[in-house]
Amino acid sequence: MGHDQGPFKLDNPWPRIGWWSTAGLLALAAVLGFLVLGRDQQNGPTLGTWSAICRALGIAADTGPAGEPQPPLRTPSRIAWTGGTLAEIAGGNAEHGAFVGTNCTACHGEQGVSRSGLYPTLAGMEAATIYKQLDDFRAGKRSSGVMNAIAQALTPQASADVAAYFSSRTDGLAPVVGARFQAGHTLREENPATRLVFAGDPARGIPPCAACHGPAGIAPGAPSLKGQQSTYIERQLAAFDQGMRQNDINEQMRTVASRLTPDEMRVIAEFYGPPATAQTAGR
Amino acid sequence: MQRTRRLALFHYWVAFAAFLPAVILGAWQMLMRSPLPAPLDDPNAYYASVTLHGTAMAYVVTTFFAMGFGYAVAATSLRRPIRGMGAAWIGFVICLVGTVMAVATVLSGRASVLYTFYPPLLASPWYYLGALLLIGGSMIWVALMVVNMAAWKRDNPGRPVPLAMFAMTATALLWAWSAAGVEVELVGILLPRAFGWSDLIDAALGRTLFSVTLHAIVYFWLMPAYIAFYTLVPQAAGGRLYSDTMGRLTFIMLLVFSLPVGMHHLLADPEHGSGFKFVQSFLTFLVVLPTLLTVFSICASLEIAGRHRGGRGLLGWVAALPWDEPMVLAVGLSLVMLGLGGFGGLINMSYAMNMMIHNTSWVTAHFHLIFGGAVVIMYFAIAYEMWPRITGKPLRSKRLARWQLWLWFWGMMITTIPWHIAGVMGQPRRIAIFDYSLPLVARMAPLVIISVIGGLILLVAAILLIIVLLRSHFGERSLAQPLRYALAVNPPLQVPASLNGFGLWNAIVLVLMVVAYGYPIGQFFFLKNHSVPAFTVTSDSAPMGVR
Repeated sequence: MGHDQGPFKLDNPWPRIGWWSTAGLLALAAVLGFLVLGRDQQNGPTLGTWSAICRALGIAADTGPAGEPQPPLRTPSRIAWTGGTLAEIAGGNAEHGAFVGTNCTACHGEQGVSRSGLYPTLAGMEAATIYKQLDDFRAGKRSSGVMNAIAQALTPQASADVAAYFSSRTDGLAPVVGARFQAGHTLREENPATRLVFAGDPARGIPPCAACHGPAGIAPGAPSLKGQQSTYIERQLAAFDQGMRQNDINEQMRTVASRLTPDEMRVIAEFYGPPATAQTAGR
Repeated sequence: MQRTRRLALFHYWVAFAAFLPAVILGAWQMLMRSPLPAPLDDPNAYYASVTLHGTAMAYVVTTFFAMGFGYAVAATSLRRPIRGMGAAWIGFVICLVGTVMAVATVLSGRASVLYTFYPPLLASPWYYLGALLLIGGSMIWVALMVVNMAAWKRDNPGRPVPLAMFAMTATALLWAWSAAGVEVELVGILLPRAFGWSDLIDAALGRTLFSVTLHAIVYFWLMPAYIAFYTLVPQAAGGRLYSDTMGRLTFIMLLVFSLPVGMHHLLADPEHGSGFKFVQSFLTFLVVLPTLLTVFSICASLEIAGRHRGGRGLLGWVAALPWDEPMVLAVGLSLVMLGLGGFGGLINMSYAMNMMIHNTSWVTAHFHLIFGGAVVIMYFAIAYEMWPRITGKPLRSKRLARWQLWLWFWGMMITTIPWHIAGVMGQPRRIAIFDYSLPLVARMAPLVIISVIGGLILLVAAILLIIVLLRSHFGERSLAQPLRYALAVNPPLQVPASLNGFGLWNAIVLVLMVVAYGYPIGQFFFLKNHSVPAFTVTSDSAPMGVR
């Protein structure tokens, strides 16, 4: 670049052409994008200039007429996966949790490994899941007579502590080992349990269980299931299906369960269940 | 010169060594998503494979190829040894280490996030570190291209920089600008979360930053092909370049107009308002200008060559062209694919029409046709042109090379045209398995099977490429002519300073980027927060989830 032709010297031809054409193009694009094209709406009155600009900027201005009064929202849970919530869960004290957890052994088994199909195994469950369920019980978002009372006696900090304790146990729910790169997890799979777990059923809008419950990934709040009591899983699926349990934040479990047949619920539950479960216990 | 040759050769080796396995993965993916039975029938393996295929093709093959080509062009067009040879080797090693890290992480099943890095999907930090090293190492190449061009200008005051070097420096600068988006995303968003230093991940900001890279990177891939169009093709056809100035303008416009346009990949994203989406969509259309200029110049240059060889009449010059030259054949096939793919691209970038094909197989088919087809076929032709010059061993068989080019062309056409149609029929992209028993999906089955056949042809062509190169490599050494670039009809004696350097154009790019991305990126820091928990995706067993 010669010194006679700096990029900002508009008396030279190329910088002049470059800058003026850039400015012209930007101005044309801005007028079209922010003033002209944003005004028209498919189902509504044409917007004013200010509203059109706000809409073009993506600011959720009150661009339409005020809506009808809405009934109060029924939220499925008080928990949202914000940084504050996650920090509170991560701050759980497992030692104190072990002390709190002694109260759980009567139903959930020694060190959180359940022996009954009525109660889930807690050992190895994700801390976020335990924390959320305790809060849901506390707030009445999920009902179970005894757990509602117990959860109300726990502070959020104690919930985080007990969640930290059970999630640190390794003798309960196992990570789904050995599922990786194992052939046969497609829609062509004969076994309905592995088909539903790993491939789902797109025709009925059922995503694979594995997409949220592992091994491919674990969605926030979703428990890992391998090793869980089969009867418990089956009962929860039925409860989601019948609308008795409604604390899944985005209704994903209610949706999935409503599309499963009772037989499918059973085989999925058996797929996840521990190998030596007494299948009849608690039925 | 011997040292430059070895440098370029090492880069080409890595590029083509990554290319063949990536094609094999691609062919398997075509089979996996078809109604036909596939070996290793597992969706988890599919997503890992898509990640590997995309990473290898989009980052490894292209970056190494562009770097090798860049060093070769710098040495041969400036006719002097490259400055900074030591730094160049350091860059090569950094890129190689990054590649090995990224590939090993994907193979171990800890990174199935696809190469587009869209949070909140999260992979192992080693994958992101590998990608960062690969991209960061290539910045040494960018600096060397700029340094070499500047040094040559200092030593040759007043003389025009050879077009090949001017275009190569434009390519390097484009890469530096475009890579900034993914670098900031990696350092600022993905790595801190992957290492566990932060809890949440701002998905919308991450996508926006990646969009800075996502479109311009395509032009970074394209530019070596354009350099061949302007500087090698007229020479191979036995003619002259129609206009040197048109070449400079083309590369300048590609640099300016391919950058502030990436938001057309986010037209369905809720985090941005319609205004900036429209502005960037509008700016995207301007890329048509350098593309049409190029089509015109190349056709004009070929006509000069054809008439020089005795072609007469309105179209007689076409038949008179030396179609047995791989470079000439490749440009013909490339322009066909560029034309078809370009029209598809117009649909993708249109704010309204995009909605018809957003996230469908149409998009995948589009970039395979235009990158895998129009661009990569020129990479082959460049390799056939450069390999003999570098190794001193001429191509054993031009016939085999022509076969390879034809097979690649037909393979790509047969793969992508039904793929486009399936996309218009509503087939989503990035899906491992389809239930072909559904009436809606069953209609797509024959199209997908045709695509599989195309994929297998592509695999054969890729194997043939390696055979052609290896046969020549282990063949007799005979003196190869040094690489010569096409002369323009009117060779430039002096060009305006603005067409001989990039100061003005970099300043314009900066202004355009600030206008086009300033608010869309800035809004996340004072208006909006799209932070969400990350979703760790592996094909492995350990549930990571919220920790």
